[in-house]
Amino acid sequence: MGMEQLSLVISLFQQLCVYLVIAWLLSKTPLFMPLTQVTLSLPHKLVCYLIFSTFCILGTYFGLRIENSIANTRAIGAVLGGIVGGPAVGLLVGLTGGLHRYSLGGFTALACMFSTVAEGLLGGLVHRHFVARRRLDRLFNPWMVAAVAFVAELLQMSIILLVARPLADAWHLVQNIAAPMLVANTLGAAMFMGMILDRRAMLEKYSVAFSARALKIAERAMGVLDQGFTQQTCGQMARILYEETGVGAVAITDCHQLLAFIGIGEDHHLPGTPITSPHTFAAISRNEVVYADGNLIPYSCTLHPGCKLGSSLVIPLRGEEGQVVGTIKLYEPKRKLFSSMNRTLGEGIARLLSGQILSGKYNEQKRLLAQGEIKLLQAQINPHFLFNALNTLSAVIRRDPEQARTLVQHLSTFFRKNLKRQSDEVSLRDELEHVQAYLQIEQARFADHLSVQWQIPEALLECRLLAFSLQPVVENAIKHGISQMLEPGCLTLAAEVREDYLQLVVSDNAGLYQPPADKCGLGMNIVDRRIKARYGEQYGVRVECEPGLLTRVIISLPLTEVLC
Amino acid sequence: MLTALIVDDEPLAREELRLLLQASGCIAVLGECAHALEALPAIHRLKPDILFLDIQMPRISGLELVGMLDPQALPHIVFVTAFDEYALRAFEEHALDYLLKPVDPARLQRTLDRLLLLARREVMVPDSEGAAAPGSGDPGLVAAPLRTIPCIGHNRILLLPLAEVEYVHSDLTGNRVVAGERQGTTELTLRTLEEKSGFLRCHRQYLLNPAQIREILLLEGGLAEVVTCGGHKVPVSRRYLRPLKDQLAIP
Repeated sequence: MGMEQLSLVISLFQQLCVYLVIAWLLSKTPLFMPLTQVTLSLPHKLVCYLIFSTFCILGTYFGLRIENSIANTRAIGAVLGGIVGGPAVGLLVGLTGGLHRYSLGGFTALACMFSTVAEGLLGGLVHRHFVARRRLDRLFNPWMVAAVAFVAELLQMSIILLVARPLADAWHLVQNIAAPMLVANTLGAAMFMGMILDRRAMLEKYSVAFSARALKIAERAMGVLDQGFTQQTCGQMARILYEETGVGAVAITDCHQLLAFIGIGEDHHLPGTPITSPHTFAAISRNEVVYADGNLIPYSCTLHPGCKLGSSLVIPLRGEEGQVVGTIKLYEPKRKLFSSMNRTLGEGIARLLSGQILSGKYNEQKRLLAQGEIKLLQAQINPHFLFNALNTLSAVIRRDPEQARTLVQHLSTFFRKNLKRQSDEVSLRDELEHVQAYLQIEQARFADHLSVQWQIPEALLECRLLAFSLQPVVENAIKHGISQMLEPGCLTLAAEVREDYLQLVVSDNAGLYQPPADKCGLGMNIVDRRIKARYGEQYGVRVECEPGLLTRVIISLPLTEVLC
Repeated sequence: MLTALIVDDEPLAREELRLLLQASGCIAVLGECAHALEALPAIHRLKPDILFLDIQMPRISGLELVGMLDPQALPHIVFVTAFDEYALRAFEEHALDYLLKPVDPARLQRTLDRLLLLARREVMVPDSEGAAAPGSGDPGLVAAPLRTIPCIGHNRILLLPLAEVEYVHSDLTGNRVVAGERQGTTELTLRTLEEKSGFLRCHRQYLLNPAQIREILLLEGGLAEVVTCGGHKVPVSRRYLRPLKDQLAIP
């Protein structure tokens, strides 16, 4: 290799550098995205074709004129077009680059056109080869790309020798340009692929980091706002967001006031104070994200002139039917830019929190409903029973003041039990006291019309059960059973252990049970649902009835004996 | 002195009211009944001026009992109840008298005064003014529709659902209600039943449930015979054949 050839290699390298800088700049744009993976979609292939054709033509322009011919880096575009885009794209890129070269003329014009098409096709065949063997990793391997480019250049030299005439000129040309072009194209193709790989790695790293952070926030934030959208829960939430996103400050507001603020400036952004920021008002009234970047849209703290915060992102929180229920605000201090990652993350977080607020509302309603049902159950007991009991008492006072006193005791026990039940679970003994007080009063009312039999083993008295699970059933048996009998009635209360569960049986000899469909089953229905909700579907209330003879209500409960 | 009958399923409640009425000195309590089935014959037998009627009673409520009484021989009814929102609203609406348990003696006295006044007026000028005063309304307005016919069978009480009854026959022993294999004697009069049940009169002594007719055999001399779904035969007299055909849309 003479001096002349060395200087040609160096010149060609200089050209290659400009060429690669253009490629590098392009790799920073979204245009480069389709090149980072093998796709079959037509728009991506089109982008592939356009980019590599451009580089093919650029390769020609960045060439050096030698002896009425051009030493160039055209092969890089053609080969990569084929490798990334497949045979069709490779062929088209080769054809485009080739025709362009042909239009420039010279004695090798025809040979160069053919060789460029061949190079594109070669890349395409390599693509097909690896895709068929599912070795996509090989396809993006720079060494492999270098090898293909090397072979493509050898191919080009051969074609020049075969096609270009006079042969002596062609031979002389090949002697001059073969070495520089082989080196430049091989290296250039490999570096180009290196850039594609870098781009791909960066995208992956970014998305991995993004999902990891998003998932971590989601995990930590789970269930916080379910307990309500209050200063306390929002404070917890803001702390989590502050720690996970690393922004300057995090705030959560409802539609009127600041609920939580963590981070820079928390000394003057105080929870409980009304909203003052115009950006927040805008976000709430327009139901859209407002971003004050501190440059185009100025941001300045409305509370304190010395506030260090310089930019703010306000995202509305949406409740039922997409209505704004508040906002979440991320801040960065002056001189620090908002990363686009945090902006996207912020919007995702807002969706997450909106969902939580909704489900929190739903849970709250469910809880209230359950409470309401218990209240209803208690209220159901009251009026008719109360006034009849008082009427009975009024008669008993006249005949037997001593019995009247006992009755007053029972009545007060009954109402005390009725009022006191805040704790949900009680012992069977406790529930039976409630039932007993109730039955004593009913026995006074109906006199010898009602008799009661108790079959409760002492050993089971400490079993736990839901408050109000026996009393409503007993009351039903009296109200819809025995009090509807023309002849005297008998109520039996029994408890027994069956296999691994506790069974409470309330039976009457009226046999008047009608399967619900109306309100009379309401009390029992609620008991059944409460037991199932608390202990599982296998437990609950069921009814057996022999019309005119017997109604038996069976309550199954888990056996949770307390052994002390 | 007015006469009264107390109907309540609670013995102590009956006792309490009886003592209060006796203390008032202007009412003679003729008897006490524990439920509607006891009350029906007692009302027919004793014909009290006033009926103190509990609403919640076994099998047949006070409101149903009112519906079983002959509207033309209805005593004054004073409803007595512990708590019954809907009934109370209806009583107010129809200007019916009622007492709340436990009964306030002063409130009872006001009711009794009004009843005494009403009784005196009825003797002198029947149907005079005071239309909207409490106790002046028609208890039939709050009566519950008839669902069952209470009957005395062989040593037992039957509540025969209206839809299952085939016919009712009145003879010397009383009004016999027939529903398939089951039958019993009811205290309800044919006139009350005809009015409240939707049954058709086919003979001076027979009421027929039109839903239970299987066929009508036309006989000589303008007579007919109905065969019911249960296979019973019911005579149709000349006088009632035409109206019966009209009712059933038979030409």
